[in-house]
Amino acid sequence: MEIKKTAMAGTLESSDVQIMLSQGSDGITFDLVSDVAKQFDDAIKATITAVLALYGVDNAEVKVVDKGALDMVIKARAMTAVQRALDLADEPNWEVM
Amino acid sequence: MNIFQDGQPIDLETVLANKDWRTAFQTQLEKHYPDDVVVSVKLNIPGPIKNSPGLQQLFQQGFNRLRMMLGRLHVKDIKFFVARPSGPETFLIVSEDITTVKRVAVLFESDMLTGRLFDVDVMAYHNEKQLSRQALGLPARQCLICDKDAKVCMKLGAHTLTEGYQVINQLYKKMATTPLRIWPQTQAAVVQYALSALLYEVSVNPKPGLVDPVSNGAHDDMTVFTFIDSSLALTNYFNQAYRIGLDYSGGELTSIFQMLRKAGIAAEKQMFVATNGINTHKGAIFSLGILVTAIAYISRQGVASLQQLQQVVQGMLQGIVTQDLNHSFGKRVLTAGEKQYQAYQLTGVRGEAAAGFPTVMAIALPFLQQASGTTNQKLLDTLMVIADNINDTNLIKRAGTIAIIPELKQWINHYFELGGSVTPEGLSYLYTLDEHFMTRNLSIGGAADNLILTTFLAKMGGIL
Repeated sequence: MEIKKTAMAGTLESSDVQIMLSQGSDGITFDLVSDVAKQFDDAIKATITAVLALYGVDNAEVKVVDKGALDMVIKARAMTAVQRALDLADEPNWEVM
Repeated sequence: MNIFQDGQPIDLETVLANKDWRTAFQTQLEKHYPDDVVVSVKLNIPGPIKNSPGLQQLFQQGFNRLRMMLGRLHVKDIKFFVARPSGPETFLIVSEDITTVKRVAVLFESDMLTGRLFDVDVMAYHNEKQLSRQALGLPARQCLICDKDAKVCMKLGAHTLTEGYQVINQLYKKMATTPLRIWPQTQAAVVQYALSALLYEVSVNPKPGLVDPVSNGAHDDMTVFTFIDSSLALTNYFNQAYRIGLDYSGGELTSIFQMLRKAGIAAEKQMFVATNGINTHKGAIFSLGILVTAIAYISRQGVASLQQLQQVVQGMLQGIVTQDLNHSFGKRVLTAGEKQYQAYQLTGVRGEAAAGFPTVMAIALPFLQQASGTTNQKLLDTLMVIADNINDTNLIKRAGTIAIIPELKQWINHYFELGGSVTPEGLSYLYTLDEHFMTRNLSIGGAADNLILTTFLAKMGGIL
């Protein structure tokens, strides 16, 4: 599936994450800024990549501003962002999980 | 006490939807008040329970502290969302430049107690983004349980929720036992708190022997309305008292008191004019006037502890007991206080004031801070604690004997054995006592004056 439009989900509140998805041509590329230690960077990327894979998105530019979000928060925000980017209803598709 | 009791767990979706809502609401506020600063205040609580009666109390107490710390800054508007399932939160609109407000937020977030439990975000329309802890020059928020970065512990799931809850409950307890501090406030705010204290006192009910809205107690010549008139008639006096403390320049502190005394004599006359000659607030004119003046004086140096306030009061009243009361020997017409000094060496309100109101500072305020229940219940119990700890000269005068004191102590003891104002038994005992006081023409006016002072300082300290 291709990203149809640039879309965003999440806020800059503490314990949240803001994820912006736009069209890409070189697989999944990340631009990640996090409040917490570098040690979580890979985990954050892995979580978002997994969500993208569930929707069959192979190419995307992903901008992430992490404010210390838990994994479940990252997952939920990523889902909303993908749904918006794919022009699906703005309701997280929990069945996909 | 468990502050999570009766809290409803909420799901992740609700939490995230609330963050979206908050961000949108903040943006709206920033646009609506482009020249002001928006301050968002919320709790920072782990786990699925984000709101409960206890958490609301915790929020209120921390929020009150922040309000007091904002002090003289003008709060233009306030948006309260106390019952949101995602947790109590509030937005303040402050007419001030962002750096000044930021400084207050730093102070609040640096506090060991509030800094761990509260999130305060400061933002303005013209600033690109809100100021994070880092932007404020603060270290990352420490974990509730260990001293590491809270976000790292959360991500790692380093601790159990039970541990977290334990610590939050402990912090809450600690907050209720930390001595309050007096932050500089505007003259209008201080005068308003003084008037509130007078009106709170008369509204608290049922008070044994004293005037309140449901009973005139042992006072045939006055009602709650007399007290309302009298309170409002003192507005001008409290403004004067504040100016005396604020404008005072150099010399002995006792001369502040001499100035206040002159204003106080005029205020007594204004009281009599308003009440058609009935003495409602003579004691309060003396003692509350002293506190208002002392607070105006001490606020010139910034935030003050109760101890510092006490020292100023002591300085103002140095020598008053010996001056006033010893000179009373040989006088023909004696005040009640003077008579009792001669008969029992009781120094009454002068003695309390000269010592810096120790009953209020060391007993009544700490008690009130930890008391539970409604405002009325808290103040009733505080009144009884005060009555238990002073030699109420007003009561002794009415009883005609100091032997009334041990009798009163027995009643108060019984009242607290019954559980105090929060139990139906305790409350009904207060009605019984009121009847008894009326029959014997007793009243505890001295305790009532001390309740006024306690309420005033509780307001100033943000605990009421």
